Amino acid sequence: MVEKFHRELDQLRIEVIKMGELAEDMLQRSVEALKKQDNAMAEWVLSKKCKIADMDQDIETKTLQMLTLYQPMAIDLREIGCIFKMITYLARIGRYAKDIAKISIEISDRPHFKKLISIPHMSEIVCGMIDDALISFKEKDISRFKDFSDRDNDVDELRYSIFRECLTYMIEDPKVITQGTHYIMIARYLERCADHACKIAEKIYYMVKGEHIDIDPSTQKCNVN
Amino acid sequence: MVKYKMGKEEYIIKTKDLNLWYGDKHALIDVNLNMKPNKVTALIGPSGCGKSTLIRCFNRMNDVIPECKIKGQVYYHEKDIYEQGVDAVEIRKKIGMVFQKPNPFPKSIYENIAYGPRVQGINNKKKLDEIVEKSLRNAALRDEVKDRLNDSAMGLSGGQQQRLCIARALAIEPDVILMDEPCSSLDPIATAKIEDLIGELKKKYTVIIVTHNMQQAARVSDYTSYMYLGKMIEYGQTKQIFENPKEELTEKYITGRFG
Repeated sequence: MVEKFHRELDQLRIEVIKMGELAEDMLQRSVEALKKQDNAMAEWVLSKKCKIADMDQDIETKTLQMLTLYQPMAIDLREIGCIFKMITYLARIGRYAKDIAKISIEISDRPHFKKLISIPHMSEIVCGMIDDALISFKEKDISRFKDFSDRDNDVDELRYSIFRECLTYMIEDPKVITQGTHYIMIARYLERCADHACKIAEKIYYMVKGEHIDIDPSTQKCNVN
Repeated sequence: MVKYKMGKEEYIIKTKDLNLWYGDKHALIDVNLNMKPNKVTALIGPSGCGKSTLIRCFNRMNDVIPECKIKGQVYYHEKDIYEQGVDAVEIRKKIGMVFQKPNPFPKSIYENIAYGPRVQGINNKKKLDEIVEKSLRNAALRDEVKDRLNDSAMGLSGGQQQRLCIARALAIEPDVILMDEPCSSLDPIATAKIEDLIGELKKKYTVIIVTHNMQQAARVSDYTSYMYLGKMIEYGQTKQIFENPKEELTEKYITGRFG
């Protein structure tokens, strides 16, 4: 029974990583679609909406089944708990990607009123955080979280700078208000995705070390050694 | 007769460098364990690791085993119970025991419980009635048997028999109750009743339980000790042991990777 449990856990881990890779891919492509005004790419992101929701539900069901059938302990229990929380954060990242893709299609009928630099930069940082979190989960290695707090801080600052910049453009030319508001929303979505990546990192830290940490820069610095 | 000072010590039972041999077999090796009063302590570990041997040291049940040699100390209320002149029977009055298989006497339910107090010299019917009533109530068995106290105890279900054995142990007003896998021969419903009872018992008694069921240890105990090959590997709060054990051996055992 124990071997069966560990086989199932190995399989579940693979599925979580697949789900994480899909969420990251959706986010990265949604911003790419926005930048290049590529509706086909945005449609691809929208087409994955149900897929990520199904993965979320499927993994959740398997997690609950494993808790009931095997009543795991220690690192196994922490890993199951981590997976249970992780999939919710990953599903939310997928949903934000879907929202960005929708906006991308909505505003694709007119060119960007300025070259998009900060939003793709934000996306790059956030996708990097998700990627690192997934590797850490796979390898049970927490060393990648050392600068998560700083990276989250950078994302927050970028969001604020996008907000200020868009505000300036909108004051100057009311015709760009629709686009500007959408950019501000997208920046906000990306900032939330970074928060979710931090939450995932916190859960993985707990899974590996059995201790809770807080990566949110507004409360305290990440105390990863 | 040895008098035990029932003070408010931090620990009710303590072992110091406890070693035990069955002939040449070194069954317990340097066990140091401190147990707090009114708490449930679970002893876990693979078969043959020394859990039952250790629990049997606490009320000198190993005395009856030939070739059993003990070195080190077991303190009960700060008094070494292996000191010369200590009466094992007195110890067993204060430290009761419940075994794996329910073992009621082939007598009536009433007589099973009244037996111990009678041996102690209590013969007053009214007093005995009170003890039986109180013991059954404390063992959560009273409502199920109150109308058939004179029926044979052998007619009770396994779970009821086990609670009767607990009631029998409580009748002589012990301080500590040792339980050696008390649920291993019971069905899930009877097991749940015993587990609920353990939660109640710790309000008045200190409970030390040996169990192979780790989920049970996690559910019922406040402290857990993991033993392996006669050594105490880790001892700590149950939550910590099952959520985040410090020792690799403990982790391997409770996650089923070993043992």
